[in-house]
Amino acid sequence: MSFRKQIQISETKIPKAAIGLLIFILAFSLFIVGYDQGQLFSLIQGEQAYNDLWIHEFSHDMRHAAGFPCH
Amino acid sequence: MDSLSFLIVSLISGAIAGTVLGLVNLVIVEPYLDRAIGIEVQHSITAGEEINPVEHANYRFWQKGGEVVAGTILGMAFGSLLGIVFVFGRRIIPGSNVKKALVLSGIIWLVIFMIPAIKYPANPPTVGDPDTINYRQSLFISFILISGFTALGLSIIYNKINLKPLFKLLAVSFIYAGIMVGAFIAIPPNTDEITVPMDLVNGFRIMSMLTMTVFWIILGITFGLIWDKLKPHETAQFKTV
Repeated sequence: MSFRKQIQISETKIPKAAIGLLIFILAFSLFIVGYDQGQLFSLIQGEQAYNDLWIHEFSHDMRHAAGFPCH
Repeated sequence: MDSLSFLIVSLISGAIAGTVLGLVNLVIVEPYLDRAIGIEVQHSITAGEEINPVEHANYRFWQKGGEVVAGTILGMAFGSLLGIVFVFGRRIIPGSNVKKALVLSGIIWLVIFMIPAIKYPANPPTVGDPDTINYRQSLFISFILISGFTALGLSIIYNKINLKPLFKLLAVSFIYAGIMVGAFIAIPPNTDEITVPMDLVNGFRIMSMLTMTVFWIILGITFGLIWDKLKPHETAQFKTV
């Protein structure tokens, strides 16, 4: 008689694609919260984005609270 | 390792810790921000600018909502960083996954938050000249990159050299401290003048440091707990016996 047995294998293989995606999320998210001065919205709005600073203003309080330079 | 559950652990733990950070900041840090922005508004009124109080209140309400959203985004960024470091560093640190994640988040907190905060402490609104923002951002990023890449390089050396763990830890700690003292001296300080009361600035800095420290603790614990739940490093296989 045979039966199927579930076994747990601990893998050491590094998930390269997932790490690549996390590096992108890290860089993009930090840029949004900490550094954008109109650059992202300028892709749609043009020069006006540098005056409106929508992302800067929306993340303004967290930018200060987390220690990023602001203003 | 299962990529999907690894991504879920990193991003969900970050989102949870970041959202908590945003909500806690609304209570603890916002009073300092409101006071500083009040001074800024007074300066504008004195300069002849007309400020509509209702519009301003609505604008501040919108910004406070943004603080929570930005907290979630920032949390996902740092959750991603912890995930990457955890994958490479989890075998070096003994103990449970919660302990490993806490130790690693503590190291990241020290390297990319605490040490840079000593050189460039957080400032409330009204401190900082808009004309120097690019310069100040460059200095801040440079210091974080030096600190981060020094720690990364030393962690690789730590793994390569064959000595007792305590000796290795002491050696890399001294080298890190030496390089960062050099960077501290070499990189220019923030020269923007502080014109608001120092009790406001110091209170804000302490609260900012407190909530960011709590954030990294919550992130480490949450990451370890979710990792234990999803076990990305384990894959189930069926074998006929």
